[in-house]
Amino acid sequence: MDNPRAIIETYVSDVISRLPRRQRHDVGFELRSLLNEDLDGRAADSGRPADAAMALELLTAFGRPQEVADRYRPAGFTVIRPADAPRFARLALGGLALQWAITLPAAFTSPAQADGWIYADSWWGRLTTWWLSWGLGSFWWPGFLITLTLISAALGRCHGEAKPWTPRRTVDRDHVNRPATVAGLAFGAAGATIMIALPWLAVWAPGLPQPLLDAFAIDPRFLHARAVWAVPLWAAGFAVHAAVLLTGRWDRRTRIISLALDLAWLALLTWWLTGRIFTTDAADEAAKFGLLLVVPLVIIDFVVTLRRTSASIRPPLLQA
Amino acid sequence: MVDSPVGQSLKLEQDLRKGVLVLAVLSQLRTQQYGYSLRQALAERGMPIEEGTLYPLLRRLESQGLLASEWQVDDGPPRRYYTLSAHGAQTYRELTGAWRSLTSVMDRLVHEEG
Repeated sequence: MDNPRAIIETYVSDVISRLPRRQRHDVGFELRSLLNEDLDGRAADSGRPADAAMALELLTAFGRPQEVADRYRPAGFTVIRPADAPRFARLALGGLALQWAITLPAAFTSPAQADGWIYADSWWGRLTTWWLSWGLGSFWWPGFLITLTLISAALGRCHGEAKPWTPRRTVDRDHVNRPATVAGLAFGAAGATIMIALPWLAVWAPGLPQPLLDAFAIDPRFLHARAVWAVPLWAAGFAVHAAVLLTGRWDRRTRIISLALDLAWLALLTWWLTGRIFTTDAADEAAKFGLLLVVPLVIIDFVVTLRRTSASIRPPLLQA
Repeated sequence: MVDSPVGQSLKLEQDLRKGVLVLAVLSQLRTQQYGYSLRQALAERGMPIEEGTLYPLLRRLESQGLLASEWQVDDGPPRRYYTLSAHGAQTYRELTGAWRSLTSVMDRLVHEEG
């Protein structure tokens, strides 16, 4: 395409195709006229007739048709605010990844359909089947989020300016509820005492019937190798809570120690669950069921503590 | 990505000029102009504005009611001429006042530093 006027004509039609229909002819006519005049001006300045290279130089400086069309339009409205964009991306991609993480292994471990195509049992057949079902289907989640965000942005625009900021119900998360902490320490101490005393049940409660004593007989290997580790963790936990009780507030250091203790408890509980705790099957299964209920509580405590630790604003490092 | 000092300085200068673009355009449209002649007039007075910025800006200012326009045929092809509307003239006066106040404050600030 050597004709500079034809290049401008193509450019103008690319711009106006992105404009509202009612503006196209008017803007197109004016833009073409102005660009041609600009081109003539450049040709006059350079002392040579206008050519394709000169037209391309002019249009490159003018901008890509999409950008120019944007400039003709009034400012739009923000669908996802910059401050919300990282959270939105995490939510959208995280949901997608979660669905894939669940459905992809299932696609390879579940039996192939007997009435499916002949390659249904091969790895790539399973992958294809998964991709055409759950793989692509999982994109409903980002689409759903975008649709909700669009509706929310449109509603926000209809209602005009957002309400001025007002403080939420303020909660001092570092403040310690002393009565609750004292009660927790008391119950914890009682529970730990019972657990520690359990191996010597026959000694401090000799009147109990023998079948009951047999039922609570702890496996000696558990007692010697795995149970002892609970004692330092309990002691450290009591020390942290006692320190917090004295100062009246959680601080970064006590929260970090609490996080470390949670991790240690998770590791210890996992270790306990892998072997025998009681010598009788019934007591062992019941104890493990109880420990399985404790695991989510420790995880919840860990997550909550972690959020509260990172949520507090740290002072900057000052150079001496 | 961090811009080079020269690139960063250019970008900041562009941002500075963007802020006065509308006032510069309104100032020249107290008399009727079309896009190309307006650009030439601004460039001659030391305020060059890229075509790709100026021409869409004229349309946006017109849609905001600050400019009025009409097609005219002189000795050349038909051209769309722009001029200040009544609302645009009022806005121009207000912006001029704000600009004078701003330059006065900025002069003081910059000279204090100097």
